[in-house]
Amino acid sequence: MKNNQLLSRAWLSIAVILVLIALPFFGGGRVIGIGITMGITMIAVIGLQLTMGYAGQVNMGQSAFMGVGAFAAGFCVSKLGFSAIPGLLCAGIAAALFGLVFGAAAVRIRGFYLALTTIAAQYVFIFIMLKLPHSWFGQAEGLRLKAVGLFGFTLNTDVRVYFFVLFVLVVLTIGAYNIVRSKTGLAFVAIRDQENASALLGINVVKYKLLAFLIGACYAGVAGGLWAYYVRYVQIDQFSLWLSIWYAGMIIVGGTGSILGAIIGTFVISMLQEALTFLGPRLAELVGTGSGQIVFAGMNIILGLAIMICVIYARKGLVGLLPRKLTSE
Amino acid sequence: MTTFLTFLVNGALIGLLYSLIALTFIIIYRSSRVFNLAQGELIVIAAFLIWSFSDRLPDNPFIAVLLATLALVVIGLIIERVIIRPLIGADVFSYVMVTIGLLLFLQGVVLVLWGPEIRLFPAIIDLAGVRIGGMVLDRALVYGAIATVVIATGMMIFFNKTQTGLEMTAVAEGHEIALSMGISIKKSLAISWILSCILSIVAAIMFLNGKGLSFAAADVALVALPAVLLAGLESVGGVLIAGLIIGITAQLGSYWLDPLVGGGVADVLPFVFMIIILLIRPTGLFGWKSVDRL
Repeated sequence: MKNNQLLSRAWLSIAVILVLIALPFFGGGRVIGIGITMGITMIAVIGLQLTMGYAGQVNMGQSAFMGVGAFAAGFCVSKLGFSAIPGLLCAGIAAALFGLVFGAAAVRIRGFYLALTTIAAQYVFIFIMLKLPHSWFGQAEGLRLKAVGLFGFTLNTDVRVYFFVLFVLVVLTIGAYNIVRSKTGLAFVAIRDQENASALLGINVVKYKLLAFLIGACYAGVAGGLWAYYVRYVQIDQFSLWLSIWYAGMIIVGGTGSILGAIIGTFVISMLQEALTFLGPRLAELVGTGSGQIVFAGMNIILGLAIMICVIYARKGLVGLLPRKLTSE
Repeated sequence: MTTFLTFLVNGALIGLLYSLIALTFIIIYRSSRVFNLAQGELIVIAAFLIWSFSDRLPDNPFIAVLLATLALVVIGLIIERVIIRPLIGADVFSYVMVTIGLLLFLQGVVLVLWGPEIRLFPAIIDLAGVRIGGMVLDRALVYGAIATVVIATGMMIFFNKTQTGLEMTAVAEGHEIALSMGISIKKSLAISWILSCILSIVAAIMFLNGKGLSFAAADVALVALPAVLLAGLESVGGVLIAGLIIGITAQLGSYWLDPLVGGGVADVLPFVFMIIILLIRPTGLFGWKSVDRL
């Protein structure tokens, strides 16, 4: 990438970050809430982009990995008294270990079958969480947390949580860009495009497949931990197969194989969800279904259509529609 | 002893239900090499169509079923034409995501058209249980199991012995080769979707007879996935054995392990089984082994 391009991208990123920092002071409580949820989702989706978009390993279990992280963080904070960052580390590591199991499966199982295996992850996750002792993770009732501490502050207001999430998001996004440009990133793409040829060229396919799942799950775990800090209530129903599918949808709509795509995809789909929630009651009158259902149903219809159209007609997603100067991948 | 036998026989019956659902997946895969993850939604739509038509014609369940079949076939053919056709020959990621997109879309449509409430599916088959020995078995499951065996055997004969069936098998083996022999891929696709839709209707009746129907019924297809994989994605005959194995294992596992872990074994055991199968023998017991070319 030329220096001019690098510079203009850096300025653009700084500008965006400044806007995001200013946001809580101009927007209301609702805006901050949306921002937090979107930020958390973005982290999970960026992780998924690394596993699926860059390394080509289908992963329909990202929400389960997020759940593992959420429960780990919840446990560490509420039962062991950890503060925010050690809690996130626990979350990341726990999720990464769970993800590693499926990374190991990915070594032998490919493509479509891997999708099925990761779908199974969702069910295995639920089963395990329900069977472990009640005193550990609360089984069906879940865990409740007090507000977590961070360097002497307590993250007990939405604004504080917002800035912490923003901070973690920026750090992890920079991390993701670095991974993509590293030897690991190149190996990912080689394996995605031509796995057999990569092996012939001496790329350690096993190692990189494991890494792909480990890193992706780690991101999901951190996202889960942040979720636990924000909502202060972790329960298995919060981590469903639908969410995993939605995350994959965000990647497709935004653009597979691009960090920016993951960010844009998450933003667009989240905004759509907000729009639908806002219009919900009016639409419900039109169609005659309950307003809560119409949002879920409407999102599925729109997202489903968007995915089908993108895959068949617009392979690069929304990122593909942007001018070439902004995207260099 | 009767309890054990009941678990065993129920396992076999449920397993054959899985076989039937597995067949709906396999028939479509056989002709297009596209695995339709949205198949569960088609079964739910089949069920809701039957319910809607039965609601209008309460005294003519068979006409209701016939109308529902016609409607579903039309829907299936539209999906085949608009969505599956462009996907032929595409990479795995593409058709996994498109069929997932289709799944989401159909889920949303079902919710909007029929709402989230639980409806009572008409008892097309008499609700009285079937008594054998000391066991009382679900009549719909028994009839369905018999139907599944008949259908699967019929399919095996169709694909291996009849002209049309052999042509469709050729299409399944390789589209270019089939084309070069003058076989119509479009006809194969259409026939396979029609068959799959009819089987979905049968599966819906067998699975939901007299029970509660809601949009969540689509999950039944996910549970049948292990049976699909164990049989092998192209295997029409093997699906009976695979279904029986999964069903019986799940029920017996439940019988022996439920007391130890507090229940829920029957739900998760098929998936564990599936992962083991995928690790040891990805093409299933009877699937075709393909060569991966660079």
